[in-house]
Amino acid sequence: MTLLEVRDLHVWFDLPHGGELHAVQGVGFEVDPGQRLGLVGESGCGKTTTILALMGLLPGNATVAGSVLLDGEDILAVGEDTVRPHRWKDVAMVFQGAMNALNPVRTVGDQIVEPMELHGIAEGEAARRSARELLEMVGIPGSGASRYPHEFSGGMRQRAALAMALACQPQVLLADEPTTALDVMVQAQILEMLVALSTELNLALILVTHDLPVVAQVCERAAVMYAGRIAEAGPVDALYHDPRHPYTRLLFAATPDLHGERDVVSIPGTPPRLDRPIVGCPFQPRCDRAFEPCPVERPELMGVGSNHIAACHLNTVAAWNGA
Amino acid sequence: MRGIDYVLKRTGFALITVFVAITLNFVLFRALPGDAITNLSRVPHATPQLKRAIAKEFGLDKSKWQQYVIYLEQLAKGNMGISYEDQQPVVSKLKEKLANTIPMVALGTVIAILLGVVTGVISAWRRGTYLDNLSTMTAMAFYSFPTQWLALMLIILLAGFFPVSGRTDVFLLNPSAWQHFKDVMIHMTLPALTVALTLYGEYTLIVRSAMLETLGEDYVLTARAKGLKPWTVVRRHAFRNAMLPTVTLMAISLGYIVAGQILIETVFGWPGIGRAVFLAVSERDFPMLQGAFLVLTLVVVFFNLAADLLYFRLDPRITT
Amino acid sequence: MSTAPILGLEPGVTADVVPARRKGGFVWQVIRERPVAAVGASVVLAFVLIAVLAPVLAPYGLHERVGPVYGRPSRQHLLGLDDGGIDMITLLMYGARTSLLVGFAATLVAGVIGGGIGILAGYFGGAVDAVLMRVTDYFLVIPDVPFMIVVAALWGPSLTHIILVIGLLLWTTTARIVRSQVKSIRERVYVKRAGAMGAGHARIVLRHILPQVAPILVANVVLTIAVAIFDETALSFLGLGDPSKISWGKIIENAFQRTALSSGAWWAIVPAGICVALPILGCTLVGQAMEDALNPRLRVSHLGARKFRVRAMVAKGEL
Repeated sequence: MTLLEVRDLHVWFDLPHGGELHAVQGVGFEVDPGQRLGLVGESGCGKTTTILALMGLLPGNATVAGSVLLDGEDILAVGEDTVRPHRWKDVAMVFQGAMNALNPVRTVGDQIVEPMELHGIAEGEAARRSARELLEMVGIPGSGASRYPHEFSGGMRQRAALAMALACQPQVLLADEPTTALDVMVQAQILEMLVALSTELNLALILVTHDLPVVAQVCERAAVMYAGRIAEAGPVDALYHDPRHPYTRLLFAATPDLHGERDVVSIPGTPPRLDRPIVGCPFQPRCDRAFEPCPVERPELMGVGSNHIAACHLNTVAAWNGA
Repeated sequence: MRGIDYVLKRTGFALITVFVAITLNFVLFRALPGDAITNLSRVPHATPQLKRAIAKEFGLDKSKWQQYVIYLEQLAKGNMGISYEDQQPVVSKLKEKLANTIPMVALGTVIAILLGVVTGVISAWRRGTYLDNLSTMTAMAFYSFPTQWLALMLIILLAGFFPVSGRTDVFLLNPSAWQHFKDVMIHMTLPALTVALTLYGEYTLIVRSAMLETLGEDYVLTARAKGLKPWTVVRRHAFRNAMLPTVTLMAISLGYIVAGQILIETVFGWPGIGRAVFLAVSERDFPMLQGAFLVLTLVVVFFNLAADLLYFRLDPRITT
Repeated sequence: MSTAPILGLEPGVTADVVPARRKGGFVWQVIRERPVAAVGASVVLAFVLIAVLAPVLAPYGLHERVGPVYGRPSRQHLLGLDDGGIDMITLLMYGARTSLLVGFAATLVAGVIGGGIGILAGYFGGAVDAVLMRVTDYFLVIPDVPFMIVVAALWGPSLTHIILVIGLLLWTTTARIVRSQVKSIRERVYVKRAGAMGAGHARIVLRHILPQVAPILVANVVLTIAVAIFDETALSFLGLGDPSKISWGKIIENAFQRTALSSGAWWAIVPAGICVALPILGCTLVGQAMEDALNPRLRVSHLGARKFRVRAMVAKGEL
């Protein structure tokens, strides 16, 4: 039994003038303790919504379907009430841009102690001590606990947010673009820290990002999302060297190569609208290798290698035959 | 204490503003054309002796500069002159009037704040629903009605239950302290209620706006992610933060409220400082008018300073 | 009553810069997109029409005595008569003229002064800015109603004086908001470029800055109209309005002075107050809609009474 398994997750948002936006369309993946999974895609592809849905952090105009199995138990069964007890204690999150993720009028220490006391992990002086230790663990002096968030630099704030996320010793850590808006040196430090923490604490990590080098550095496996669905998923090496979905291939090609050996290729066109049902493959209008079945029939995820799946007609027998 | 230099700086500014206010007060009443004080022919009770006494006291025979200096000297001694109406010292009359206004305004304001905060929070919580729209519309409506009209409406509706004029019952002879207190309180009801109704609309809208702002902040999502119950998140994170700008706006508005009670005091015949200003105008009682105006300006400056310092104290992000 | 809380914009906060568009275009857009603003605008428009067409629309003459003192409402006189036996509806219509005139005119004064000072302070910065802001601060500290009373009393109650007094009180908020906006616009590249190309100050202000400032200025002006009408009513009530002109405030004052209450003549009071409130409400709605449009606070709410829903799993293809 895996630690966290997501099965056929759907999320819809009510639109102000009627209708629904189908933001997440049947996403599934799993992680085990100590594993690091990347969730990659352009902005708007649904990756943030997906991980928010894992913790039930959706707004009132959202509808969710599917299962989120934590140690076999479906925490999303009824909604807010079944998922709330697991928040922070089992699944914790680090948000994008800790600028605002920390309450500006309360000390960092208070904010780390808060979930500890809520979930009965520790109280009072013991909790405060643990908070200081957590801060030390992420590279902030313990005295920082009595400081306010605005007194820290961006990188330190993100580390404080990380310490806060680990306060209740969760089994799964969700990180939403944790290093965007930080400068490169700080980025590298935070990413190293994530890897170290995941290894030492046997923490499962799901890292959401649009930045491929980040995924390459941190994760062993990744899932590429497009238009609310998973286009391809597998070991990061396989995705890089043997992509089985044109979008994955183009994504990697679109990343500027530090050595300047490859031309930067940008993907023309825009992602499809999600407020209407999509016919055929959602990537087809921008795909450079689309053929007959693509505009007509939606490709399903199928195995294309060891622990490697992709949703593309090019992987079918017909394609081999035709190609 | 954090930022004592900030406190000193702001207090310094306030004092400068006070000084400027005093000077402008002088200019307004003495130096402008249509000079009220010197144009004593407009003063109804002006006997020749009174005119001479006034001329002597205000030094009206001297130059404007000298008058200004005399004015400052007198103020420093706490002397704002003698009221034309009853020859009482302006300062003691003003003290009495201010003491009448403040409890009434305070009561009304407290009610308005409570009402405004409750409706504002509920509106923000249930944003977009029928309840929210209704509450916002009502707040705007009360905000739009003319104050004196609201006062009159209350009279029309509640005249049978509450006294509609004055601060005390003139027929109540030799009341005990308790009886006097009850008497004043019951007379205060309608005016305070009017204050509350005029004010609460503004507060509802401020609170609602501030709450909506904080409810969209990331730290609220973080708090929710920690597993806190929704109401705890609201109370401990959203509300606390929303109150920062709200409290300061409220503090600032208090200054103007004390000044603006002229309408309510006129309708209800409440002997407060607002009404004193109005009576002074009709009686051409210029020392009284000048004194009252200065006091009201000082009240505004005071509350602005208080709001400033309060915000500084509450928000750790503000350094100098 | 002040515009600051409603407008929610404090000095230092600037609105999103709207792409250069005719002033009229922006107003139209807001009205079209938000039904609340449309309602508010129609109400104001209706009152303006009534005011303008009062001589034509009024059922009776303004000084025409058609019945007894405080005559009750009847079919010929839906809102009864006042203490002079004059038809209430007629009075209200003519009253609209003064009240609205003062409201708009005073706002014009406030807008011009406030806008001018704001632009000067924001554009030139430095010493000019510092001085102008000090002046603004002192004006802000003046207690509104007493000041109006004092000046109206000292100066004499004529319509012009009242308009000026109210205008003098209301320009400060406008000045601050305009100043913030101008400051942020000034940093924009094309303004700097225009300056480098040798364009004169006046030209830069008129062609580059003014169009960007216009939307927020308009929003503030609309809200100021509401306050101006409110203030005029207050002044008239205190007997400081122009005695020769009838306004809604004056109607209420007359009723108060001449014991309409004890005569039970509620119709002498209630409609006048409603007449004041409606255009104020209309302006507030429009102004606030404009402010929302300029300052789109994230529609996101992370928390609310509504919870997300869970849909049961059904066979694939049916979701």
